[in-house]
Amino acid sequence: MSDTHTASGLGGDARVLRSGEREFTLDVRTQDMEINFGPQHPATHGVMRILIRADGELVTGAQPHLGYLHRCAEKIGESVEWLQYLPYTDRYDYLAAMNNNLGYSMAVEAVMGIAIPRRAELIRIICAELNRIGSHLIAVGTYGMDIGAFTPFLYMFREREWMMALFEKICGARLTYSYIRIGGLFNDAPPGWFEEVALFCDTFEAKWPEYYDLLIVNKIFVKRTANVGVIPGRVCLDFGLTGPILRGSGVDWDLRRDMPYSLYGEIWRDGAFQVPVARGEMGTVGDCWDRTWVRMREMQESIRIVRWCLAHIEEGPVMAEIPKILKVPKGEAYVGIENPRGELGHYVVSDGEKMAVRVRVRGPSFCNVAVLEDVLPGALVADAVAIIGSTDIVMGETDR
Amino acid sequence: MDFQGIHDRLRAIGAPGLVGADEPRQGDPKDKKDKGRAGDPFVLVDPQRLTDFLRVCRDDERLCFEMLVDLTATDPAKDQAHLWVNVQLLSLRHRQRLAIKCLLEKAAPRLPTTVPVYRASQWHERECAEMFGITFEGHPDPRNVLLPADWVGHPLRKDYQYPKEYHGISCE
Amino acid sequence: MISLEQSFEDNILTTKVDWLLNWARLSSIWPMTFGLACCAIEMMAVGMAHHDIDRFGAGAFRASPRQADLMIVAGTVNFKMAERIKRLYDQMPAPKYVMAMGACATGGGPYYKYGYTVVKGVDRVIPVDVYIAGCPPRPEALLEGLMKLQEKIARSSVIRKPARTA
Repeated sequence: MSDTHTASGLGGDARVLRSGEREFTLDVRTQDMEINFGPQHPATHGVMRILIRADGELVTGAQPHLGYLHRCAEKIGESVEWLQYLPYTDRYDYLAAMNNNLGYSMAVEAVMGIAIPRRAELIRIICAELNRIGSHLIAVGTYGMDIGAFTPFLYMFREREWMMALFEKICGARLTYSYIRIGGLFNDAPPGWFEEVALFCDTFEAKWPEYYDLLIVNKIFVKRTANVGVIPGRVCLDFGLTGPILRGSGVDWDLRRDMPYSLYGEIWRDGAFQVPVARGEMGTVGDCWDRTWVRMREMQESIRIVRWCLAHIEEGPVMAEIPKILKVPKGEAYVGIENPRGELGHYVVSDGEKMAVRVRVRGPSFCNVAVLEDVLPGALVADAVAIIGSTDIVMGETDR
Repeated sequence: MDFQGIHDRLRAIGAPGLVGADEPRQGDPKDKKDKGRAGDPFVLVDPQRLTDFLRVCRDDERLCFEMLVDLTATDPAKDQAHLWVNVQLLSLRHRQRLAIKCLLEKAAPRLPTTVPVYRASQWHERECAEMFGITFEGHPDPRNVLLPADWVGHPLRKDYQYPKEYHGISCE
Repeated sequence: MISLEQSFEDNILTTKVDWLLNWARLSSIWPMTFGLACCAIEMMAVGMAHHDIDRFGAGAFRASPRQADLMIVAGTVNFKMAERIKRLYDQMPAPKYVMAMGACATGGGPYYKYGYTVVKGVDRVIPVDVYIAGCPPRPEALLEGLMKLQEKIARSSVIRKPARTA
């Protein structure tokens, strides 16, 4: 068993195949490669570094490294006033900024114990669900781009631009809104806004089958994503995964229906939306295709929720009576809401002062990244890209 | 079950390390300084028994907290002698949440790791360790998760000193 | 890039060469995909059909720094990332340009005061050519920054000083 082989060719041990051919075996020493995946990489969805140990194309170990976008959000929460912290909440999950604002505002409102005007609640839900659609459009679009399909990304950005134009009309910003404030909303919707949202709903609903046919049931996409990166349901629970990953693994759990907040309980009782749970249609339940399918279906359900809110919109104030310099009473509360990526939790501790004692942000992507250590080994390097894309992580939320 | 029900169940099964509970209350009208406390109720648990307590929460049928949602810490004030370790649990089957708080001495913040019970706490504990200086004994991978490996200090403590420079780049 | 200082005076031939080279360079700036944070989403929006950056010739986003001309630092730079940014900048071949997009890359952004790991502006790490303000800047602002960079490239010359090296 040596490293060398004789010059004549058939040295070392030889073996005979069934066909009668003689094949020599070499004692070839191989070594696992360590590949650095990121932090600058087109497919890591932000600045994440995964150290991959690969035996050829097969991944034998994966170690995610975070912290390349750590922006000290929690320290800032203790250093600025309650309302001044709101712009920072936009910037952790920057694809779904409305939902972040909502989570933080709800946590502070839980400590304050105030009631929000109904019109404000309805517009909050419209904004949150429209943002969910926008976030899923980017999630599925960039996922297609990672897999190699550039066209769906261009198409999905078309709708996203319209969504951002809607938000620009209501609050002035395209990406980081700071619109949903403690106590209600920043300002009321301009005239004609609801009609345009209704038009958006109708148009998007008609376009949805186009995206589904273009990408989701495309043969190549299915081959790349079905049976790849299977995460069983009990692993999800153990790792604290929530959102489309949990529902993609067959676990029927959605905070909007099961632990309702804002008006979602009422919307659910009215039968206005369903919770899509994957059943392993194209492969095994819990694979990448299932997670993407859940995101696509959630976009449809969001349209239904928005339509319900538009049908029930009523006049009224959009901001509760709160003082300009806010002093939240002493106490603490944890509020978890259903972000497009999972459960976004805000744990807020107040001492009765102008600034928080602690603002803890439980970002769903932080928990979702942890599972990569267990899921990536055993996959091929190309599948690693597919798996990372399907977890839909946003580094702003992971690193805060 | 509401919080009372969960707390009664914990006491009934003799959950290890359960010290007490704290619920929101109105202020005492006779004492001007006591304005009460708002927000959520939580249970107080001895940090050294936290792992066993979580195991009971996860395995008991009536409690059935399958998911650890969050494990973090809080430094309540510069002059206070304790750090808090806050744990949020979620039960999907029974649709209930539980908030747990442990008080740790600031001088010696050590407690056993909860990774054997929930894998989710692995990264949360790493973050607590680097941000607060809490040592989780028996943690399989105690590296920094968000901060650079050679960062000095524990940023989320109230007495943290901001650095002046790092690797030649000024912080001013 | 050869340096022709003191070899020739500024004459009709060299200005024409200047004009041609500069026009070729500014019409085909290839950015590197370097989205760090929220500004990356606006950078993606610029690359899309609505605010098409490809009409400026800059639509070919290259993943590898060795094939890119322009590094658009879109997002917050923190210390852990700063070392990688320096390394990526060194890997880019000359002539190379850097655009600091957004408030965070320009001067630390909203994380200026209390962000302990945030570098207060990417120009503490690498030299920057164009700063774009905004949080995040609108795609139109990024396009204006690109046009300002094109004006800067149009002013450069083979004669007066050597081309930009690392």
